[in-house]
Amino acid sequence: MSLTITCPICGKRDGYEFRFGGEDKGPRPDEDGLTPQSWCEYVHLNECVAGRQKEWWVHKDGCGSWFTIHRDSVMNVEVATPEAHK
Amino acid sequence: MVEIKRYSPVAFKASPKRTEVRDNWTVVLEYDGEGQAAFGQSNVNENYLVDLSHITRLDVQSSNLDAITPFGITIPQGLCESYLQDGVLINRMNRIQASVFCLSGKRPEMPTESSYTETTEVGMCMAIIGKDVFSITEKLTSLDFMDYAKTTPFLYQAPMSHIPCQIITLSRDGAKSGIIFTASRGYGKDMVHAIMDAGAEFGLKPAGEDKVKSWLNTL
Repeated sequence: MSLTITCPICGKRDGYEFRFGGEDKGPRPDEDGLTPQSWCEYVHLNECVAGRQKEWWVHKDGCGSWFTIHRDSVMNVEVATPEAHK
Repeated sequence: MVEIKRYSPVAFKASPKRTEVRDNWTVVLEYDGEGQAAFGQSNVNENYLVDLSHITRLDVQSSNLDAITPFGITIPQGLCESYLQDGVLINRMNRIQASVFCLSGKRPEMPTESSYTETTEVGMCMAIIGKDVFSITEKLTSLDFMDYAKTTPFLYQAPMSHIPCQIITLSRDGAKSGIIFTASRGYGKDMVHAIMDAGAEFGLKPAGEDKVKSWLNTL
């Protein structure tokens, strides 16, 4: 079964309608005391988790929204957000 | 002074039988061989593809969309809901944006507020109407138009023939079924090719604006 992704506006759709936007790395680092090395690490280095990770996606062939989902990178399936269980 | 001439990005192989120049567009009212009967009045199996690129379309954006009433009509609250009243179709795209289609064909008096942007000439617009609409769309997109969690009319922002479209399902009531969709202008010719090819086995024919008007009257 191919990947399906739940867009917050359009609902559950075929994964081919979306483009991957990278891991969610949290807010960009504070510019005070920012070194080229730490900026480079923020921009280019990834955790590459084998399992559940939070990611950015854009619904490029649909509504154009940017949003985050949790995906199991081993099974390549969207999983419920931890917030959904609170 | 040079007179403006507006061209539809959509062209059919059929020959126009009746045309009308309206607001610098040459609008085809009827094509050769489509039959003069109003929609739903003929005994033959009717499935039609109609070019509506000339109808006025607007984009509305505001952080307080609930305060805006295009042509006096309230914008639907729910995401991807649509509302048709007096020939004006309003589609809620997201929290701050809606699209407005003036299906009557006449150019309305344009709103002057800065929330509105006219999008008529940046895109193409077509309608597919008839009993086999969803058999045709099934060949063009993976979308579930028969999802009964949705009530007509409703909006899909999704690809059809791999082209990002706004697709509004106005009816899925047997022979009165129909959708209206828009996409970027440059895809017009190829979309017609793909849709006519998909609809060949269902007898899909090009039709003029009159056919859509009579269809809208049945809704």
